[in-house]
Amino acid sequence: MKSIKTFILGVALIAGGAVAASAQSRPPLSVNVNYSVAQPLGSFKDYADKTSFRGWNIGVQYHLNDQLAVGLKTGFADFYERVPRAVYPGKGEDISAVQTRTLQTIPILATVQYTFTKPDAAVLPYAGLGVGTANMNYEKYWGEFVEKENKWAFQVSPEVGVNVPFGKYSPFMFNASVQYNYAPYKQYEIKNFNTVQANIGLKFHIQ
Amino acid sequence: MKRTGLMMLSALAVTAVLFSSCRKEPLNDMTAEESRIYVTNYDEQADFTTFKTFSIVDSVAVISNREGSKKELTAYDQQLLAQLKSQMQGRGFTLVDKAAKPDIAMNVSRIDNTSTSIGYNPGYWSGWPGYWDAGYWGYPGWNYWFPSYYSVFRYNEKSVAIDLVDLKNAKEGSNQLTAIWNAMLRGTGVWNSNNLDAMVKALFDQSQYLKATN
Repeated sequence: MKSIKTFILGVALIAGGAVAASAQSRPPLSVNVNYSVAQPLGSFKDYADKTSFRGWNIGVQYHLNDQLAVGLKTGFADFYERVPRAVYPGKGEDISAVQTRTLQTIPILATVQYTFTKPDAAVLPYAGLGVGTANMNYEKYWGEFVEKENKWAFQVSPEVGVNVPFGKYSPFMFNASVQYNYAPYKQYEIKNFNTVQANIGLKFHIQ
Repeated sequence: MKRTGLMMLSALAVTAVLFSSCRKEPLNDMTAEESRIYVTNYDEQADFTTFKTFSIVDSVAVISNREGSKKELTAYDQQLLAQLKSQMQGRGFTLVDKAAKPDIAMNVSRIDNTSTSIGYNPGYWSGWPGYWDAGYWGYPGWNYWFPSYYSVFRYNEKSVAIDLVDLKNAKEGSNQLTAIWNAMLRGTGVWNSNNLDAMVKALFDQSQYLKATN
């Protein structure tokens, strides 16, 4: 505890000028890095229903005041499912194959976030919204033969979460959140991109 | 400050780990069996029960865009032809000599291609040197015709093509022999005779319409 206090004191001294100038409790610019897990829903789940454990995201935010922040975020998620050999009928054609269905997504979103509590609270719950675009890389393997399509889609991602500062007014926080991602993305059997995503990571106010 | 630096460094390290373990590569853990696809195309208008007899080529055409084409009859080829015969007979078709005016001709080819082209139509190989000349079936100077609704996948190194050609309805003057069924074996190990049983069985299992009687 003592070291944390010393640490906060140190940071407070460094950031003191900025805090005083903007009347904010923390430096206005923050960065967050998160590990993320995502579960497909809807028709996207029919394509690849395995939970993705290969995801991350990173964001920067500018805090207009202690409660409202705007920013940008990006990230990555890899969806993957291998389906045992089956016969896929088509028009005048049948294909027997082991399908490996994958999708890689890279969203780029503008964000707005509102924190519900005062900055000195032990836990800072918030709600946010991200709106932007996402690169969707569809790769479906028929055996070792890949059917590949890459395109961009509009994406919207509402999010709720908590920031837990490592001590009162600390610029370093533990972050945990849940977000829902929706993109009107159509590709063969996928009618839209629909996932629920959990994020865990760190957020730090830098200056 | 030292602590801040440490935090930054560890955050960077975590990010690096996340970046490096980005995606799961489908081909990394794929077995040869999983890599293979068995594709069949058929004429949706064709009533296969109107055909009673068939004949099959006496060897296998080896078609390549690298070296000269040739006909071969390796142990693999013999096994392949024997299995195709027995599958067709199992569906009620009678094997006859090609001189006995069979209703259906069965062409068998192995294709060895290094093309990097990503798309093609089935039957494209029928125009290549080495493919079964229509003259083999008593139609010298004729061409094969593969209806355009056939669609097949991109091309890899080695494959096997089996084509059923309609001889019964060969129209004088058209100079075209129409393919009514096409099967392709593609992927790793299709030229390995240990895999023939399973591959040929799969082709006929997914082609239940292919039978001489109802």
